[in-house]
Amino acid sequence: MTQAELAEKASVTRQTIIALEAQKYSPSLELAFRIAKVFDVPLEEAFQYN
Amino acid sequence: MKFLNNYSNRELNIWAELILNILVSLFFVSKVFTSNQFGGEVLVQIISTTIILAIVYSIVVFGAINALTKREEKDERDYIYELKSYRISYYLSHGGILGIICLIVFNALYQENIGLLTPPKIAMILLIIALLSSTGKSLTQLFNYRKNI
Repeated sequence: MTQAELAEKASVTRQTIIALEAQKYSPSLELAFRIAKVFDVPLEEAFQYN
Repeated sequence: MKFLNNYSNRELNIWAELILNILVSLFFVSKVFTSNQFGGEVLVQIISTTIILAIVYSIVVFGAINALTKREEKDERDYIYELKSYRISYYLSHGGILGIICLIVFNALYQENIGLLTPPKIAMILLIIALLSSTGKSLTQLFNYRKNI
């Protein structure tokens, strides 16, 4: 899945996905759930707290 | 065109706004100070010319940006950065207004030393504060966007 596709499915901009991948931005709980839903995985599998 | 891919539609719009602020500041301040007119018909003419040029710039540049790049809906990150920039803008404008109030009080107390503070001069200072505040807002937004890429 491309960044643009993920961005569209999660209803955010591509720049937000880039920032998330680079671990430069912490998403809101709502966005985290939306992204996990796109990949059809539990939240803790999509995101980890470092 | 490849350059445009590195920037979102929103970032390009902020850049355009920042450049507009800088151009307006440079044009307006240089015209006012070279003509040495702080009031009257000349000031009205300078303000009118500045407004017309700003409108033409906005139509051309913002139109081109929105035609060349895909317009995106604001997301939560945009709103957070917008709020951060509004805070900076708020501090700048309130600091400026406080500065004007101090200037007016000092002007009334020591008029002979710092010269007469006329309404057109106050209007000019307010305009400069507004431009500074807007520039601060744009710079904060761009800093946040670039910091996180």
